[in-house]
This record gives sequence, C-alpha cells and structure tokens, in this order.
Amino acid sequence: MTRRRWLVHLIFRALLYRRGRTVLLLVVLAMASSLATALGMVSFSMGKRVADEVRKYGANLVVLPESARLDVGSGGLSFGAITEPAYLRQDEVESALVKSGIAAERSCHLRGALRFRNADILVEGVDFGEIRRLLPWWQLRGGWPAAGEAVVGSDLAARFHLKEGETVALDGPRGEVKLRLSGIVTSGGEEDGLLFLRLPELQSALELKGQLSTVRLLIPAEGGSLRTRAALLQQFLPKAKVTEVRQIARTSEGLLAKVKLLMLLVTVVVLVSAGSSVTGTMSTTVLERSREIGLMKAMGGTRWELLRIFAAEAFLLGVAGGGAGFLLGCGIAQFITVSVFSASAQITPWFAALSLGISVLLALLGSLGPMISVFRLDPVRSLRGE
Amino acid sequence: MASIIIEAAGLTKSYGEICALKPLDLSVPEGEWLSVMGHSGSGKSTLLNLVGGLDRPTAGTLKVGGEDLLGRDEDGLARFRREFVGIIFQQHHLVPYLTALENVMLAQYFHSLPDEAEARTALERVGLGRRLKNRPGELSGGEQQRVCIARAIINSPRLLLGDEPTGNLDGSSTTMVLELLRELRSQERFTVVMVTHNQEVADWGDRTIHMDDGLLVREERKVF
Repeated sequence: MTRRRWLVHLIFRALLYRRGRTVLLLVVLAMASSLATALGMVSFSMGKRVADEVRKYGANLVVLPESARLDVGSGGLSFGAITEPAYLRQDEVESALVKSGIAAERSCHLRGALRFRNADILVEGVDFGEIRRLLPWWQLRGGWPAAGEAVVGSDLAARFHLKEGETVALDGPRGEVKLRLSGIVTSGGEEDGLLFLRLPELQSALELKGQLSTVRLLIPAEGGSLRTRAALLQQFLPKAKVTEVRQIARTSEGLLAKVKLLMLLVTVVVLVSAGSSVTGTMSTTVLERSREIGLMKAMGGTRWELLRIFAAEAFLLGVAGGGAGFLLGCGIAQFITVSVFSASAQITPWFAALSLGISVLLALLGSLGPMISVFRLDPVRSLRGE
Repeated sequence: MASIIIEAAGLTKSYGEICALKPLDLSVPEGEWLSVMGHSGSGKSTLLNLVGGLDRPTAGTLKVGGEDLLGRDEDGLARFRREFVGIIFQQHHLVPYLTALENVMLAQYFHSLPDEAEARTALERVGLGRRLKNRPGELSGGEQQRVCIARAIINSPRLLLGDEPTGNLDGSSTTMVLELLRELRSQERFTVVMVTHNQEVADWGDRTIHMDDGLLVREERKVF
C-alpha cells in the first residue's frame, strides 16, 4: 500500500470514528460555503437583472451642449446673462464614445421651433428606432413614422385638433415642410407637447445638418461607476456637458452597491462564525486525540508528518463541505432569484471553484490553531494524559 | 564481546527545580535485557524516555547505537525513534479506530511503507493471527499488549523499550507476554530495556538496576 493511500485510509477511519463531529464540521463548512456561493450567484445574477430593470427607466446620462453665456451689465451693475442656442456635433459625440471605450445605447435629439397655423411649436428630430429602445414607456396610438411622417404629442394634438393620418404643413428657414401624422404619442411628460419627426428631416428643415441638441445615453450598470464614466466621456467632449440622470443613477448603482455590500457583510459574518466553529470543533478533536498524536510521535512521526495528517484531514473535510455547499448554494440562489427577480440564477462552474475554495480555506484556517497545538505537542506529556 | 548500544555519562534530567534524574552513568551491551526497577518518581521512566529519544537530557552525554542523541533536534529524534526503537507502554496506547492489523501498519507508515503481509506475519508471531480485524476495544488486555509487541518489533528495532508493559496484566497474561518477548529477542537479537516495579518481572532480565530518587543505587546481574 502506498503511503498516500494509507494516509487517506487513516483519515477516513479517524473521520468515521468521530462521525458526529465530522458531520458537524461538514454541516458548518457546507452552510458557510453554500451561503457565500448563493449570495455570490444572486449578486452576479442581480447585476444583470438590475441592468435589465434599469433599461426600463431609459437613459442614465445626458450630453448637452455648453450654452454660450454672455454676461450683460455695466460697471457694478449686472443684468444677468443671456444664452444663445448651441449644438453638439453628431460626429464629435460618436468619436468621443469610441475613444472613451464606453459601450452605451444612445438616442440623438435635435430640438427646434417651426411655425404651424401662425404659432411656433416645438419640434424634435429623433431616430425612432432608438426611441423605441430607450423610451419604452411611450404609448403610441397609430404607427411609427416612415420618411415624410411624424408623430404628435397628445397635448399638442388636442390643442390643434390633430388626428392620426392627417397631413400638416410646417414653415421653417428652408420653407414649408409637409408631414403626415402616423400616430399620437403619450408619455406623461413634456414630450406630449411636441411634434416628433425623423432627425435628418428636421436637421434639413432647420439647416442644422450634423447638429444635435441632446444625446441620451443608457450605460449598463455593471462595469464601473456611472460618475467615473461620465467624467471620462466629459474629457473627450470638452465643449459639452455630460450629466447623470440622478434618479436612474441612484436606482442602478446605489441600490446595486448597497445590496452587494449587505450581501458581502452577511457573507463575512457567516464565514467568521463558521471559522470560529471549525476552530472550536477542531480544537476539541485535537484535545481528544492528544494521546493518539503523542503515540504517533513516539512511533517516529515527525512534527511535519503529523501536521500533514491533520492538514489533509481538514482539506478533505473542506472539499466535501465545499462540494455539498455548492449544490446547496445553487438551490438557495435559485430559490432567491426566482422568488425576488422571477428569473433563474446564473450558475457557472466558476462558482463550484469558489465554493470549494471558501470551504477548504475555512477548514484550513479554522484548523490553524489546533494544528499548531499538534506541532508543539510533547509526546511524553500527552502519553501521560497531561 | 558484544558492542555497547547505550552509553550514558553524567546523564541528568531536571524539570525546573525538580531533578528527576541525577547524574547517571550507564552502559548497556547489545542484546542485553536490562530491567530498571524503582518506586514511582524514582526516575526510571525518565531514564527510559531519554534512552528512547522521547525526551532530552538537561546535562550529560548519551549515545544510543553510536548516535549522539544530544545533537538531534525534535524531528531528528523522531527519525531516530522510527529507525532504532520499538516501545511498549503499560496503557497499550493503541489507536481505537484502527484494527489490530492497521495499528501495526501505522508503525510501518512512519518507518517506511505499510505492508499488510508483513504486519499480518508479525501478528501471527504473537499469536493473534485470528484477531487481525478486531479493534482494541474487542481485545483483552493481554491481546492488546501482544498487538503492541507486534507493533514494536515490526520495523526490526535494535532497541525495545518497555514502560511497565505487564503493569496492567494478570499473572498468566504477564507470563505469556514475557515469554513472547524472550522468544522474539532470541530470534531478533534486539536489546531490551524494561521499566518495572515488580521484582518477578525484573528477574526475566539479564541485569537489573535499581533507581531511587533519580539515582542509580544498586545493580544486580543474573547468575545462571
């Protein structure tokens, strides 16, 4: 029989002999690693789930042109400031996003005024494909516009008694623009007072080709702080103002960070408690086995050989506890994610390694003190039962 | 003339203020059966622990099998024990969760390689061929001590140490164990150092030294 095989045989015999204590250690290790694994899985799944939820609230960053600001006053008198319209260059925004490496969904907007029935009305040029992804709460009666078509906000439609399918004529710097109204939109916000048409058509009508007044960005919650990424994008757009949409930022980042911190703290508390429990149980075991350890030393076992036996015992317990903990953790994670997020937990082999690693580390660290006792134990005194 | 296996000069052991062994000179030829007699606290077990490399002397010199034990660290002493020494204890000290066979194999594990056939033969030599798979709790005191003897001789030690090995046995078991030791010694030619407080047991040896209060006070050689 090889020495390694004998060592494993010896450890299994010892563990089976003290099966009550062995089961207790396995339960502690399995519970600790399962909880850590489950919370890790939930945290991982939650990141993606929250990102999906946040998407429903639309953009979380807004890029605006820095308005040209002129102070008006004389001597010590100040009459305030006047601003004149300013625009973002569409190509500069695209280039800044590429250079900063920020992967974001975006919607580009140009806002202006056109004359309709002797009144100025606010119009906005957009890409309707982008709008459907980033502003999912828009309720549209009718269809999305094709070329030469527009949608009108519900308030504006009511003001001018506009109906779906009607054609409107608008006056702008380049003359008259005729648009068919494909639908009426309700958002519950300021959009209800606007008329929306395709971005290139408005840019052409206002003679502002390649110009934008707003860019809305939806940046995924995972992958770093929103504030950091806003600051990064700002570096590449010095003439613009990159602003967080606060409520959304709080939802996506603050909540996620707090819940993750809570989970981390719970995990730390569980691991510390489990570690203490392992230490206590292993200390009792070593105390009970002191004669046996003394005998092994008397038979010629060196301190390192004895340490190896006890470390191997802790390692095997850790592996068994980690394996059980992984299976249990998958169940707990699945239960939490289904109950809270109505989605399955994302289980990857990486979590099996995490569970085993935590359990083995816990078993070895928890056994460190008792193993030092084994190392130092005097064979003569222990055989005398002192 | 037989070579000297144990050579001690001025061997002393103190535990703080208490001097357990006062300067002692001792010479044991290879193959001898030395009995060490004395009351509790006379220093006989201390002497046995020093000779077996289980403890370190406070002063003096000690050579066993030509090896200077004072120059060895703790792990060096452990290696010495596995190579040179077999020990039989009064309390048996068998591992409770291992069978008789596995208890013998445990000594092989620390020496070299566990060999089941060899361990089985050792147990058959001590008359336990039919109790191989029994655990210590299922064996009588005499049988347990015979497992200890098999365990002690499995690695062919040059020195067999007995710390009151018959102290817990009845008369017939004591005789059986001592006869077994005598027979094995004649086959294996190991040296025996046996601590006892029983004169009848001591008489099985070639020589008896008497200890009192840490001092060697008297020496008797058996007259054949």
